[in-house]
Amino acid sequence: MPESIVGQSVGRVDARAKVTGAAQFPGDLVLPGMLHGKILFAGRPHARVLGVDAAAALAVPGVVAVLTAADVPVNEYGLQTADQPVLCGPGSSRPGADVVRWEGDHVAVVVAESAEAAARGRDLVRVEYEGLPLLTDPFAALEPGALLLHPHKPASEIHPELNVPGNLLSHHQLRKGDVAAAWAEADVIVEAEYRTPSQEHAYLQPEAGLAYIDEEGRVTVAVAGQWTWEDQRQIAHALDVPPEAVRVIYPAIGGAFGGREDMSLQIVLALAAWKLRRPVKIIWSRQESIVGHCKRHPMWFQCRWGARRDGKLVAAQVRVVADGGAYCYTTNKVLGNTTVTCTGPYEIPNVWVDVDGVYTNNPPFGAFRGFGAPQGIFAAEMQMNKLARALGMDPVEVRLKNLLRDESLTAMGTPLPGGVSLVEVTARCAEAAGWRKTLSGWARPLCPPRPETPHLRRGIGLAVALKNIGFSFGYQENCWAKIELQGEREIERATVYLGAAEVGQGSHTAIQQMAAEALGLRREYVQLVMSDTATSPGSSGSVSASRMTFMAGNAVRGAAESALRLWQAEERPAVAEYVYLAPPTTPFDPETGHGVPNFAYGYVAEAVEVEVDVETGELHLLRVVCANDVGKAVNPRMVEGQIEGGIAQAVGWAVMENLVTEGGRVRSDRLSTYLIPSALDVPGQIDAVIVEHPDPRGPWGVRGMGEMPFIPLAPALVAAVHDATGIWFDELPLTPERIVSGLTGKGTETRRP
Amino acid sequence: MLARPGLVSFDYVRARTPGEVVQLLAEHGADARLMMGGTDLLVRIRDGAVRPRLVVDLKHLPGMRDILYQQQAGLTVGAAVTMNQLARHPAVVAHYPLLAQAANSVASYPLRNRATIGGNLCNASPCADTAPPSYVLAGRIVVHGSAGEQEVAIADFFRGPGQTVLQPGQFVTAIRFPPSPAAASGRYLKLGRNKAGDLAIVSVAVLGFPDASAPSGYRFRIALGAVAPVVLRVPAAEEWLAHHPPGAETFARAADLAAAAASPIDDVRASADYRRAMVRTLTRRGLNAVADTIAAPTGSA
Repeated sequence: MPESIVGQSVGRVDARAKVTGAAQFPGDLVLPGMLHGKILFAGRPHARVLGVDAAAALAVPGVVAVLTAADVPVNEYGLQTADQPVLCGPGSSRPGADVVRWEGDHVAVVVAESAEAAARGRDLVRVEYEGLPLLTDPFAALEPGALLLHPHKPASEIHPELNVPGNLLSHHQLRKGDVAAAWAEADVIVEAEYRTPSQEHAYLQPEAGLAYIDEEGRVTVAVAGQWTWEDQRQIAHALDVPPEAVRVIYPAIGGAFGGREDMSLQIVLALAAWKLRRPVKIIWSRQESIVGHCKRHPMWFQCRWGARRDGKLVAAQVRVVADGGAYCYTTNKVLGNTTVTCTGPYEIPNVWVDVDGVYTNNPPFGAFRGFGAPQGIFAAEMQMNKLARALGMDPVEVRLKNLLRDESLTAMGTPLPGGVSLVEVTARCAEAAGWRKTLSGWARPLCPPRPETPHLRRGIGLAVALKNIGFSFGYQENCWAKIELQGEREIERATVYLGAAEVGQGSHTAIQQMAAEALGLRREYVQLVMSDTATSPGSSGSVSASRMTFMAGNAVRGAAESALRLWQAEERPAVAEYVYLAPPTTPFDPETGHGVPNFAYGYVAEAVEVEVDVETGELHLLRVVCANDVGKAVNPRMVEGQIEGGIAQAVGWAVMENLVTEGGRVRSDRLSTYLIPSALDVPGQIDAVIVEHPDPRGPWGVRGMGEMPFIPLAPALVAAVHDATGIWFDELPLTPERIVSGLTGKGTETRRP
Repeated sequence: MLARPGLVSFDYVRARTPGEVVQLLAEHGADARLMMGGTDLLVRIRDGAVRPRLVVDLKHLPGMRDILYQQQAGLTVGAAVTMNQLARHPAVVAHYPLLAQAANSVASYPLRNRATIGGNLCNASPCADTAPPSYVLAGRIVVHGSAGEQEVAIADFFRGPGQTVLQPGQFVTAIRFPPSPAAASGRYLKLGRNKAGDLAIVSVAVLGFPDASAPSGYRFRIALGAVAPVVLRVPAAEEWLAHHPPGAETFARAADLAAAAASPIDDVRASADYRRAMVRTLTRRGLNAVADTIAAPTGSA
């Protein structure tokens, strides 16, 4: 048996191709006779399409076809519920599909011999609209009598238990103990409102794809996504063909972060190639990408938490309203996570939580790294840091009194599965960040004032988070894998088939390491055939929810065991398929929210050291310490990369990224107006503390970690700014301008939209 | 309409003589665009904001990439001198450090390898980084046209955002700076939303030097960027500084006057209120920094 490969920082399988430029991204793909498509966006957030006149577009030399709503066999799609038209317009096969509900809705696709001709044609498509009233405020959308945005799609289709008309798209609630009675026990009560902003994924590679009919007659879409099997299902539904007639391939993917979980141009590409029987390619510009895909949910929190003088929490009441935007996307699932996380990683005897998601005419809000947890944890950890101040206790000390342990009951009335390491990650983070354990408890490091630069103030803050691994709430998580062993006396080659998407996070490398480990082979013997529904017909699930290493590891291990058994039985080649089924979970009880919503969790604590220029409001992030329990680091260097990348992205959300909308339309639609952190804006020092507290059900103890480092950064940062300035900031992003108005006592209130 | 990826095709001419440029502009009129670094033009072509049939590259005209310094005549910077070239040139660093600071603050290092001072000024963006220093250093723009060469004072060059006095057929070949006042010290300060790459939300150039003719013994020049349609000098503050002894109080008052002179806008990047407040902060910081490095007048203790 060779030395263990799981746990080694081996080089990435895709590094050479990506560094040399050999890797083919969807936009690089070319086929002979290829046509080019341009999608006409509605450009207005709410209107009925009365007519589409394509005559002028079709007259442009080179334009081959203009496809509209009437060309789509089943004009609807969606990951959670099919509430979005593929193309908006009259003559649709589905009621309500003639209405555009956000500016990025597609009205037509123009296909031509060149991209230039397609663009000219697109600009000449004349659309007649009847304007409809705008609904961009989620609170107004919740009012009784508000205009219904989806009269044909009641939310009860998504939530059978939810029988409320209106624009309410999802509702979750938790009821534990008796909150009203518990306030009497509290010595300190902290009440606050928080607002967390949207965020654009800003992945390196804007949407692009190539569709064609393959050698077996399948309409084939080569595109960047997160779940081949699900893309295939939705394309087949819209084209009204069996899934086997559709093939989805992911070549190299330039980042995803959840933004490719819901589809963008997949169906339109498939439709064009299917109708025209020629290859069709579409590449979106950065502007089309920013306008055209979903974003992180903006949320509003009203929180009231109480604690006893000794620091023990007695009650938490949290009300959340989230803007779901024009279509459901993954709103109901995202808000499930917000529900789980908005009371933090704490055992609280009395809990009352209400979380609503609402349809509006804003861009659809969907999956984004952290999936509802960054918002929930922001509110919870702000409350916790304020309680620590109000109690005069160290923030670490007060947490240790309340953190969930193995046997603790969560707000869902059940303990957390898989071993709970919250105390350990909190202590490891605090120690690395300079906290000291004194006779009277934990004491945070002091930031002495520096008289020579009175306008530069330093502070330190800390926050802790938990997040589920996998899509659950009663959904039976599963992952398909196949392994083929070839050779005669010795195994000469092992081929692993899996649907996992390599979105830059390193999953292919981790899967190769785990397969080699399970087979007892050197890594060089393990070949990967990934992300193609033709070779991986089973579902390996989405690359999201920090689930891929956990799920694929178990699937590969199962397939390897079976394949090795067949190999021992002299089968050549030895081929085994395996579907790993995660431990079962339950949906939230509709009344109490009680149940087992998830089968695994990851735990993380972060400390942030910051310097604030109190005259300009500029923030300098000096250092971030991240202690993350990953269960088992399959590849420690890639884990560190995820920690650094997650923190950089969280810094953007917390201090800089500002999606400006006006009347439902995105105004900051370029990377010159929507700024993301540059190399000079990320923290000067990031110290990754990898904690390995194995999950007995994870492969080799793996938990999953892709999202965790993002989650506690914002509240830790705000606590550091408070430490430096004495001011709490309850709304993100913490732009210099917001800091200056906070420090001068202007405009610190949390705004509603 | 939404931007589209990829460049549309256009003809490209690398001009060899100024006469060739004049002729091409006469022939093609509005269908021709002039290019130096291309960091702005190519992006605008990609986005469909301009659709030239012909792009005329001026970088290779004689002298366009040269920096000349003479103690008597001062500094001549070819219009196609890049920001990195400017920021590192020994004569610029020694005698016009303010200009070097501003050039070094533009966008990011790779962009500074392409972006030129001429392009930066000719785009006439109110937040162009080389503009405020050019004001306080009394820069003059050398304009070439069918009638030959003429010089325009920087303060007369800009008409408004994106607008200059350049007439069709004219182009800029160089920027001239007179010798810097003796013992002058300068500071360029700017704020962006991130630490690399963003345009200035507010920028301030301050130049100070001893001057026996001023009642205070010093003269200061202040130019503000990104807070008005064109770069703004602040005569009221400069006057105040000429008449009051340098020090924290005088500087604070001058900074108030600068803030009062600014007429910023609200936009996606910052509010007018914040911009105005930052004019005050940066002006005060600029004045303090200049005062810390300025030489005392000859003969003073």
